Order: sequence, then structure tokens, then C-alpha cells
Amino acid sequence: MLSGDQKLVERCLQGDDAAWEVVVNSYGKRIYNLSYRYTNRRDEAEDLTQNILIRVYQNLRSYRSDAGSFQNWILRVARNLIIDHYRQARRFPQTGGSEELETMNIRDDKTPNPQRAAEQAEASRFLQDGLQALSPELKEAIILRDIEGIAYQDIAELLGVPEGTVKSRINRGRLELSKLLIKRRALLGMQM
Amino acid sequence: MDCSRVELWLSDYMEASLSAEDAERVSKHLEECQSCSALLQEMQSVVSLCRSYPSFELNPQSIENILLRTSGRPRTRPFRELLRQYFIRPLLTPKLAVGATLATLFLIFMLDLMLPKLSITASSLSPMELVRLMDRGAQQLYGEGLRAYNKKNEWQAQFRRFKSNTLNNLRSIKEQIEVPVEGHKKTEEPPPRKDSAPKEKSSRLFLWPA
Repeated sequence: MLSGDQKLVERCLQGDDAAWEVVVNSYGKRIYNLSYRYTNRRDEAEDLTQNILIRVYQNLRSYRSDAGSFQNWILRVARNLIIDHYRQARRFPQTGGSEELETMNIRDDKTPNPQRAAEQAEASRFLQDGLQALSPELKEAIILRDIEGIAYQDIAELLGVPEGTVKSRINRGRLELSKLLIKRRALLGMQM
Repeated sequence: MDCSRVELWLSDYMEASLSAEDAERVSKHLEECQSCSALLQEMQSVVSLCRSYPSFELNPQSIENILLRTSGRPRTRPFRELLRQYFIRPLLTPKLAVGATLATLFLIFMLDLMLPKLSITASSLSPMELVRLMDRGAQQLYGEGLRAYNKKNEWQAQFRRFKSNTLNNLRSIKEQIEVPVEGHKKTEEPPPRKDSAPKEKSSRLFLWPA
């Protein structure tokens, strides 16, 4: 029996444009956010999202439901393209993202008033700067687990490494981030 | 148990995935070690900060571009977006807002002029009173309508009278004009028709004196 995602893929392959639109609407936001976490730039993230979804459309026939969930397959395609993009750029951009956080249209239900929104933006900038200081491996682990909320097993499948390695990377990432933030807080003398 | 060992287990301890025995050993260390305890607290705040990290909406134009570059079909727009695009946004333009305000004011002014005046006081705002008020208003409106109808009939009758008088006057003037004057007999019959052919002279076109 076909799962929901498998049925959706089948419909896409049969040329059902409405089914493809459902895929784009369902995964577009997630891919965009993932791209933004890596690139820290809105314009780059939008371009990457478009390229990723076009690649997904072109390679839909290569998806096999027995090899894992559709979400993981899409995330794997996304990650590969993001890493390609990173290799081409030869850097993670250091500027632009933090400033963008304040001006971007943040859809966060937990920020009902301007003061809380400002605090949220400040904390996000704090975290973003910390993430920039991590190695790409640890940063990726933190993004996937703590920001995107993906399960350990799925991350292991996505990265192609054992679950223990994923857990170890996440722990190291959290530790480094915590130490960096403690240091930074001591320097600035402010409370988060 | 040393600090480096505890650091390796901090995430597992935080997520309660350690065995009971290991969790007990870490707890004991944390009670004694100030720096490890502070590190755990920091790690908890980092994780909660990560979880509250804002997520962003993908620009609808990007979705449109993706769909056009893949399936070639434009995006299906939700009803709310269509409403905003074709109804609310045009309404929010300054020109239309000013126009709508002026039209509303004009309408209110015209209604105020045309409708019968009803006196409403705060004490009369009970359901029965409102019904009576509305009834009175309807009666007044009906009365106004009847009066207007009568007025119309009256104007019509006046016009008919004026029309018939004018026609009578015209008829009498015509009769006066048609009375023959004495000594000037009016020939009733038309002059006899000339059957003979016209003279040759008259049929020639005179171009040059002979």
C-alpha cells in the first residue's frame, strides 16, 4: 500500500500539477528556512530554494519509498545542493544575516509585541553569531536537530553517518555554543 | 568523575537518555561542580533559544517562479489572497478612499434631505419603541409618496387643461384666418391645365442674344 507521500509522488509523475504544487507548498518553507540557516542571506536562500525544488522535480523518478521517507529524500537533495553552493562560495557569509533578521518579515506567533520581537531578534542575532563560529559539521548538526527539530535517526540517514556520531556532534556543538555564549555574555556584561 | 567526562554526557543527561546509574553519577558531579552546573544551564538556554528561532515564510513570488519553471502552471491563489489583491488593496488607495468618503457623505446628505425626519431619543430605544418608530417612519414615507402621487396627478390634469386650451385657441385662430374677405372671391378650382406642348422658344436654352 502506498503512503501519502508516495501517492503524491505518483501523482506528480503522472503529470498532476496540483500534486506538485502541494509538494512545493509543503516543503518550500522548510527548505527555505534550512537554506537560510546555512547561508544567512535571504536572497541566496530564495535562489537555493528554487534550485533545490527544480532539482527535486527533475529527479522525482529516482525517489524510492523503500529507501526512506520523501521528506528525508528532499532534505538530502537540499543538503547536497546547499553544500555545493557552500563549496562554490568557499565561505559561509559573515554579514548580512544578522541585520536582515530585524527587517525580515518574521512570522513568529510567540512575538506578539514589539518589545518581545526586539528581544527575539537580539537573541537570534546572538545565536547566529555563535553558529558562525562553529565548524560546518557541528553547525549542521545543531541546525538540523535543535533548530529544524529533525529526529536523530533521520539526521543520521540524511548525513549518512551513524546515530552515535550525530549525537556526539550535537553534544559538541551545544557545548561549544554554550561556552562561546558564556564568553560573549561575560564580555558584553549583558543578560540574555 | 571528571568534568571532561560529564561534558560528553551533558546532552544525554539533559534529554534524560542516560541510564539511571550514569544519570546519578552526573547529578552528583553537578552538585559539586559549579562550572559544569553553569554549563548545563547554558546548554539548556541554547537549546531553548534554538527552538524559538524564528521561521520565515517563503516569498509567494518564489513559489510562483518555481512552479512556472517546473510544471509551468501558475500558483493557485487562496481566496483570501485574491480578496486582498482585487478588493481590499484597491480600496486602500488614497484616491478611492477619498472618493468613497465623499460619496458616502453625499448619500447621507441626500437621505437626510429626502427622508422624513424621525426623532429618536435614548429612552425610545426599546424593541417595541423601535418597531413603532419604524412603523411611523414607514407611514410617513407612504404618506409622502401618496402626496407626491396626488401632486403628479394634479400637474397632469393642469397640463391636460393647458394643452386643450391651447389647441382650442389655435383652432379658432386658424378658423379666423380661413374666413374669405369680402369682394375677393376665392377661386376654389385650380386653373385649367394646359395640355398643349410648350412653345419651342421656351424649350430652348438661351445662351446668346440673336
